[in-house]
Amino acid sequence: MDRATPQAVAPDSHGNQVDPITFEVLRNVFNYACDRMTTVLQRSSFSPILADMLDFSNAVYTADLRLVAQAANCPVHLAAMAFSAQAAVAEVNFDNLHEGDVLVVNDPYKGGTHINDITFIMPIFHGGSILGFAVSRGHWMDLGGGAAGGQAFTGTHIAGEGLRIPPMKIFNKGEVNQDLLSLILNNTRTPHFVKGDLQAHLGALRAAEQEFHRAADRYGFETVTGAMNDLIAYTERIVRRSIEAIPDGVYEASDYADTDGLSQEPIRLKVQVKVSGSNIEVDFEGTDPMAAGAINSPPANTASAVLYSLQFFLAPDAPANAGMFLPISIKLPEGCWLNARWPAPTIGCTTLTSSKITSAIWQALGQAIPDRITASTCSDCNWFVASVKDEAGRTDVLSDLPAGGWGGTPYADGMSVTMDPLGNCMNMPAETAELLFPVRYEAFELRRDSAGAGRHRGGLGAVFKVRFLGEGELSMETARTLEGSPGANGGSHSAVQRGTKIRTDGSAQVIGGLDADGHWTNPLLSAHRFEPGEVFMFETTGGGGWGRPKDRPASQVLDDVLDDYISLEQASAGYGVAIDPATMKVDEAGTTRLRRAMA
Amino acid sequence: MWQVGVDVGGTFTDLFGWNVSTGERRTSKVLTTRHDRSVGVVSAVDKAGIPFPDITHFLHGTTTATNAFLERSFPDAAFITTEGFRDTLEIGRQHRQALYDPYQRKPRPIIARRFRYTVEERMAADGSVVTPLNIDQAIALAKAIKAQGLQAVAIGFINSYANPAHEEAMRAVLAEHAPACDVVLSAETRPVFREHGRFTTTAIRAAILPVMKDYFDRMAEAFRGRGFRGSLLTLKSNGGVMGVGLAKDHPEELIESGPAGGVSYASYLSLTGAHRQLIHTDLGGTSYDASIVENGAGLVTRNYELEWEIPLVVPMLDIHSVGAGGGSIAWLDEGGSLRVGPRSAGSEPGPACYGRGGEQATLTDANLVLGRIQPTLGGKMTLDVEAARRALAPLAKAIGLSLEDTAEGIVRIACENMGQAVKMVLLSRGRDPRDFAIASFGGAGPMHACFVAEAMNIPTVVVPRYAGVASAFGATCMDIRHDLEEFFYSPVAGVDLAAMNRLYEQLETRGRELLKADGVAAADIAFERSAQMRYVGQTYEVEAPVPAGRLEETHRAVITEAFHHEHRREHGVSSSDFDVAIVSLSLKAIGKVARLPSETLEVKDHEVRADTTRPVYLEGRWIETQVINGNALGAGARFIGPAIVEYQDSCAVIPPLGRVQVDELGSLVVAVHLGAARPAATATATAAAAPALATAP
Repeated sequence: MDRATPQAVAPDSHGNQVDPITFEVLRNVFNYACDRMTTVLQRSSFSPILADMLDFSNAVYTADLRLVAQAANCPVHLAAMAFSAQAAVAEVNFDNLHEGDVLVVNDPYKGGTHINDITFIMPIFHGGSILGFAVSRGHWMDLGGGAAGGQAFTGTHIAGEGLRIPPMKIFNKGEVNQDLLSLILNNTRTPHFVKGDLQAHLGALRAAEQEFHRAADRYGFETVTGAMNDLIAYTERIVRRSIEAIPDGVYEASDYADTDGLSQEPIRLKVQVKVSGSNIEVDFEGTDPMAAGAINSPPANTASAVLYSLQFFLAPDAPANAGMFLPISIKLPEGCWLNARWPAPTIGCTTLTSSKITSAIWQALGQAIPDRITASTCSDCNWFVASVKDEAGRTDVLSDLPAGGWGGTPYADGMSVTMDPLGNCMNMPAETAELLFPVRYEAFELRRDSAGAGRHRGGLGAVFKVRFLGEGELSMETARTLEGSPGANGGSHSAVQRGTKIRTDGSAQVIGGLDADGHWTNPLLSAHRFEPGEVFMFETTGGGGWGRPKDRPASQVLDDVLDDYISLEQASAGYGVAIDPATMKVDEAGTTRLRRAMA
Repeated sequence: MWQVGVDVGGTFTDLFGWNVSTGERRTSKVLTTRHDRSVGVVSAVDKAGIPFPDITHFLHGTTTATNAFLERSFPDAAFITTEGFRDTLEIGRQHRQALYDPYQRKPRPIIARRFRYTVEERMAADGSVVTPLNIDQAIALAKAIKAQGLQAVAIGFINSYANPAHEEAMRAVLAEHAPACDVVLSAETRPVFREHGRFTTTAIRAAILPVMKDYFDRMAEAFRGRGFRGSLLTLKSNGGVMGVGLAKDHPEELIESGPAGGVSYASYLSLTGAHRQLIHTDLGGTSYDASIVENGAGLVTRNYELEWEIPLVVPMLDIHSVGAGGGSIAWLDEGGSLRVGPRSAGSEPGPACYGRGGEQATLTDANLVLGRIQPTLGGKMTLDVEAARRALAPLAKAIGLSLEDTAEGIVRIACENMGQAVKMVLLSRGRDPRDFAIASFGGAGPMHACFVAEAMNIPTVVVPRYAGVASAFGATCMDIRHDLEEFFYSPVAGVDLAAMNRLYEQLETRGRELLKADGVAAADIAFERSAQMRYVGQTYEVEAPVPAGRLEETHRAVITEAFHHEHRREHGVSSSDFDVAIVSLSLKAIGKVARLPSETLEVKDHEVRADTTRPVYLEGRWIETQVINGNALGAGARFIGPAIVEYQDSCAVIPPLGRVQVDELGSLVVAVHLGAARPAATATATAAAAPALATAP
């Protein structure tokens, strides 16, 4: 079997343990293993949130649980998965692991984030020893709790958010743990997905195991282990080099969640990004204390958010692994809402809270690297979960996350309606939703004037409408209802987000955000009731603008008007471009006048 | 009477013809005439000396549709959709291609927003009318489209797969108020559910319709002028052919018309040769294509994305491409790791050894330095070995290996990447690499195929005889084929068999009409039924075969079992815990075209001895290697590697201990030695290897 002459060799100048050619080959093998896990999980899972919306991530780890490679569909899983895996292996005990074991954990206070993100961890054995670990994490539609999908925003205790599974074996030497499985099946609104999704996660883990076995058969245990170490060092080198390219200094910014669902006041976070040589410290000193409502972020989630936010501007192409964590340290004050402790509720931490951390970090980086930074994205993923009764009285659970836009960049306008950086989920197609659930999707299209104006404007947000055909309840978390996403380098804020109920008589009522009179309604909805025939409308925001709007060429502003991305009013008020509505041509003189008057 | 296959490529137009009565075969190769491709096609026929009036079937593959799409070189089209869904074409599925790239952009929408219109109307998922089509709005729209001067109009309404009445009504309004427009309906283009794929496919049809109409009209005109009276057929993405009369209205089915010919050649080999399961691979200057061929047909997918979030939901050969080719550049990334591709030096400036100003080392440069390519390229051009060595030197220095070990490392990394692409193709379809042999096409293919096979642990490589005109040859081996589909959602347990029978009969009637339009005689028509199925609750379908003839009660279990089987094969799992549902019914309508009789050569088992040798760097050392003229090899010839087999347009590298035999079809069949020890290309080995540099050729 041993055609694997290249063995671990004496470290070279980089301290590498494996020769450069074999290293490159194995680097691809690790990535490929993760990609294969993704393919298997996506194609064999049974719940739409996994199969259609890809709310999951897969990764492989060293035997001492350092991340080697990850196919993250959700960047917010980036570091958090390692915390879960480490907590699980510590609790079950390394020496109690056997071939065919799979551990499971979803406890936010054992390295998790929110209860719905459930993590499966499998040791990969080769020749009797543990070569590494495969880890697969997915968002499960429902694990119980006070409202569908665990979204009980009026709760103040994690017990209200669903079944909290401590680290334990879900498979013991290949045998499924029936007791645990029964317990899960008894505590979910969607038991029909459980077995299929469990099987899909197992398939993904086995795919990684197979790739590792092949690699170890061919190159030997030591070489594979050596290449994993080299790969971590490789990423660390890339990250350190790019930190060195950022001027040393302390860069501060802040952002906020509009509410935790209970408060009338925003919940704020403060961040200092301290760059020094090839190290970054991210310090959250001055951040608000733990919130009563469900947006608190456990340390694992906060760490993930910090790391993926930086990844965009440090090493977007480097393999995401433990090497990128080494130059970055995080300082989390005790008792703040980004350092949540039991029994604080956390269901909103991944979607709502991480995106605010990103926005703050990007604003701070904007001071350090203004020519490279992009403006903030919509900074929310507007995740909702609805339960609807069909004619037979059966209740089903539907979930979707209508995205907003991304910020303008130094090179171009931002992307319209694209999942926030924290994840990369797909939306629910209208025709899928209508085939499977008693609802009618009535709109998902671009929202005019929703983007921040700028030399490069933000991408646009969307108008989303769903009609309940039976009685329903809807829970949702969101923010950016008080002001839109900030611009960069003189770019403007985007529009505010807003949730509205349209009754059967056509009358509309704002149920989240600011209404026409400037009256604000708490946008975190918990089991909000909808009667048959009522419509839930949500208007997402675009990204912030990049650079001064008055520097945007008038011809591009005209194009945006012709494409109905912006109105004539925004062309003139936001960009200082006068367009003659009769000829639809730029009025040059009028434009000069308007632009001269702009600051 | 002749059957002629032609492949209109980017550089060359290749022809393969065979005489149905005498079995005679002819080939020709001319330069592609880009301004009007029909000119080159006609001259290829003339060069082969085949009289146009004697051609019964003319089959050709073309990349015209693909290029028109990729370059967005088509006139503006209009899109009309349901109120609330104006931007489905632009929003896609709201996800992004690169996870962490803050500057990424999405592909330009096929139809600009200013030409996307909405109208009040609504169907429910069960096909019932929720809101009737607002005729006043429809008329106003038709007038606006006419005023804009838009030629092609795509109509895509939500849930039209369940009931096309509103799309048809909208077309009627256009016919009255904008009669000059070409109108295409999503319910006719592809009546499948999920609006994004259906709308995108419909928009692509509308957009490239005028381009392909012009292309086919020119060709038909040129052929008529030369006395052609046979069937003019074109290759489709599904691995079949259709008449150009139909092709003009179905241009979205031509996106893989180019590569389909090569896959067809591999399919022919899979039917006639010793290996029924082949991986068709094609290595060109910039990319490596791989696809699966089983039992005489290429594997087809319905999950194909032309560009990011631009799916095309017609059955297409499942061809995967990776950015690895002869021109792929070797480089050191920011972390100091040696990488190969996906950036390519292309043909301008090309590899460093071309001497046209390229300074970066490419895969071709690496092969040249290793002595695997002859510097004179069979007399066609002279490659500059010194320039290749100069380009490689900085890389070798940076990673601390000898020049040769670096070059061999580059080849190895490229081959491993190709192997991974092939594995992804196989494994994403649940196939086991060990069941397959690699069929290697393309100029640079056979040089790497054995190493790709080694990387994947695949024991056999096949290099076909007509490699130089592979796609043209393949074109003559194809049947006429139409894939029809009708939405039909029902759990199998409760399926209305009478309705299913009716629907299949309707599909067969339609198939028969289409084949008749292609000029197929009734006796040559065959049908294959299948259904797109899934577990209830899943949102991905798997295609499972459905028995022919009248479906009875007992067939429920047969269909369900067939689905479990296919699901297990594609995804590795199946479960009787879940109900199984049908999503749509599919029918392959096949019109048999006269088949090239497999030409079996007389096999004379004999060992070949090479006339010449040259030093080739293999497995970490210089080996004096035999060089064999591929064109002179007869069936039954055998030899053992290391060897270089040279052809007109390519060469094959046979690693040490590879056992080669020429089979009765003239293909080179290589049994790759999978137990071979690998060289220790390590940092320690470098010191020892360094002095050898001086003696290298």
